[in-house]
Amino acid sequence: MTAALQKTPKPKVVCAPPAIEVTTLTKAFYNSDADRVTLAVSDFSFSVARGEFVCIVGPSGCGKTTVLRILADLESKLSGEVKLHTDDAPAMVFQEASVLPWLTVAQNVALPLKLKGTPQAQQKARVEEMLALTGLTSFANARPSQLSGGMRQRVSVARALADDRDILLMDEPFGALDEQTRLVLQQELLRIWEATRKTVVFITHSVDEALTLADRVLVMSPRPGTLVADLKVPFERPRDVVEMRRDKRFWDLTYEVWNLLASPGGA
Amino acid sequence: MNTSSRPLTNEEMHRLKSPARRERLFRRASLFSPLLLLLLWEISSQLNLIDRRFFPAPSAIAQTAWSMIVSLELFDHIGATLRRVGIGYAMGAIPGVILGLMLGLSQTTRRLLGPIFAALYPVPKIAILPLILLIFGVGDMSKYVLIAIGVFFLMFYNTLGGVMQAPQIYMDVAKNVGATRFQTFRHIALPAALPNIFTGLKLAAGSSYIIIAAAEFLGARSGVGFFIWASWQTFAVSRMFVGIVVISFMGYLTILLIEALERHLVPWAKQ
Repeated sequence: MTAALQKTPKPKVVCAPPAIEVTTLTKAFYNSDADRVTLAVSDFSFSVARGEFVCIVGPSGCGKTTVLRILADLESKLSGEVKLHTDDAPAMVFQEASVLPWLTVAQNVALPLKLKGTPQAQQKARVEEMLALTGLTSFANARPSQLSGGMRQRVSVARALADDRDILLMDEPFGALDEQTRLVLQQELLRIWEATRKTVVFITHSVDEALTLADRVLVMSPRPGTLVADLKVPFERPRDVVEMRRDKRFWDLTYEVWNLLASPGGA
Repeated sequence: MNTSSRPLTNEEMHRLKSPARRERLFRRASLFSPLLLLLLWEISSQLNLIDRRFFPAPSAIAQTAWSMIVSLELFDHIGATLRRVGIGYAMGAIPGVILGLMLGLSQTTRRLLGPIFAALYPVPKIAILPLILLIFGVGDMSKYVLIAIGVFFLMFYNTLGGVMQAPQIYMDVAKNVGATRFQTFRHIALPAALPNIFTGLKLAAGSSYIIIAAAEFLGARSGVGFFIWASWQTFAVSRMFVGIVVISFMGYLTILLIEALERHLVPWAKQ
């Protein structure tokens, strides 16, 4: 449509296999009381390269969270193929408060390591590192109930990073936060991602957030969700979430994505 | 602290703090309301406004209690009751919590076994005392079993409720961090249900003393319940009242103990 909108070339770089390959994924829900089938996701295909940051945007109810839950094996698919070319299961940062209230901040972050039976000393070192990375060091012994929503999401991120898995799945992690906290955490996440270079799939309904964070934005249609567009985000890294907003390309892209969301089918 | 704003005047400070002051006063006053009742009882009994044969003055009861404490007469009974309640309580609470967690975590088990518990729960525990005596004899085992049955159901249903009420997201977290079935049980379901488990423990403590009192009335030669019954049979009303006060106090102390344990083990739950 415009110069700012660059479609990703169809055959991607072929030297290494992508981290995530999803082909014609379909998911439906069946309500036996009403004998009604709801098609949530229909023939959704995409792939994510190793170390890539991909955002999926779409209207509420388009099945984007369902896609992520299927990737995390928290839900089963109806048909299609999901291939994860990694050694370990993906780590997930959840939408709502998923920090366990009976554990302190440090214990929450240590949880994956503890369950794996990592030696104490190693756990301690890793947790300290993660707390420093997410700016939580001085809250190590606080209880989740003493923290703000933004702080709790930091804990969630630290926990997901703790056992160093290849893929990080993020389900609208900043959705419930106020605008300013959100911006701060987006900047923090960019810094963390640049330091760790995880493969990230990030779900959001905010076009703004997707463009701020991602290498690539996948736009989904309303239910049943399917791929409408696959857009490359051209901003160089490291990014500054405030400075980006002075870039004309940011607003051109915002306009493009909104156009796609407003006209389902992507035409 | 705040440099730019003016300090509050004394009058403002007074108004600001007055709700807290009133609150403190009420809390202190509420300690005395039971004493007021005792005082009223004492006066009515002294003035013969109530029948002294049925309601001896609290001072007379206190005198009887003192003589019994001095003669160590009551302690054997207290010990017998405590032992029965303690053992029966543990025999009921442990399986109750374990089964509650298991059925809470597994829908299949819940569907298969749930109806059995639902069918047995409404049976009045005292109604099966004769059956229990028949099976386990008149010794202490029948008391343990009777209390265990009563405690079991309260613990089972409270624990089950605790697991079922826990946000689904905790289970998702468990799965995502790679918890095994047992780890989910131990590190997620158990702590998630702990506030409810403590509610159950308190309810169960109360009903344990109800059950033991009734059981000791009929089928024991020791215990505070037996003591109350024996006093009634000899028309030793003051002694009977001492028994009632003692067993009530035992229940009260048990619940205080459980609450202290709760504050220690469930610090995240708001009291």
